[in-house]
Amino acid sequence: MKVQVRNLDNISILDCSGDVDLYSSPRLRESLLAEIKADGPSVLVNMSKVAYIDSSGIATLVEGLQHSRQTKTRFGLFGLRPNARSVLELARLHKVFTIFENEEEALEKIGSVHPFGGL
Amino acid sequence: MMRITISSEPRLLNILRAVVKFRAQEAGLSKPDAEHVALAIDEAAANVIRHTYGGRHDALMALEIRNLPDRLEFLLEDWGPKVREDLIRPRPLDELRPGGLGTFFIYTFMDECSYDPDFKEGNRLKLVKFLSRKGAWCNEGSSAKSG
Repeated sequence: MKVQVRNLDNISILDCSGDVDLYSSPRLRESLLAEIKADGPSVLVNMSKVAYIDSSGIATLVEGLQHSRQTKTRFGLFGLRPNARSVLELARLHKVFTIFENEEEALEKIGSVHPFGGL
Repeated sequence: MMRITISSEPRLLNILRAVVKFRAQEAGLSKPDAEHVALAIDEAAANVIRHTYGGRHDALMALEIRNLPDRLEFLLEDWGPKVREDLIRPRPLDELRPGGLGTFFIYTFMDECSYDPDFKEGNRLKLVKFLSRKGAWCNEGSSAKSG
């Protein structure tokens, strides 16, 4: 898995690609927690090239969400593939995260996201 | 029947996933179901690495896949300390916290889940997916789920 960070205005986008599993999720965690900080930019995770995510990857995203709430950072996901979306739905996390269809929508709406989660 | 033995390195889990997905599709499961079965086996193997072996990467585990007329059986063996089956529980989904979802996915995507009490050294976890119930996510009748 690769994680690359782009900075656009006051938004950080983490472009993830590959499988997010027990092996790779620590890398995502490190990048995610480095970007989510008090008085920092909004943070979006681009999942459009994530082919697979397991419970350790989901745990990393949950940790990011919790950290974003503590730091009052706007946080969202976009571009989820069907398999990633299905496991989030099964774990009933799809309503906990702010999820956008694509980058365009995410960039347009992330400013409206309440820092404690949800639009 | 096929058997794979790998070291307990997280980077090798993708090999297990690929093999399981391939064999599950070959047995007739749809792609989404095969991916769910691969996720369940991945979670079980990850549990072995994290909990049974305590993160050690130099131990061994083996996965045996049995393609039977009505079901796929997966036997995941390790040589670590005995697992306390009574302590394994999926976490309540209304708790928002990292972790605890792996067991939930195993129970959800597999039809049966049980440890072999006669396995002498280490643990042998048996996971079953019935082919006639493909598409069924929530299952009943498993010994592990009944606890």
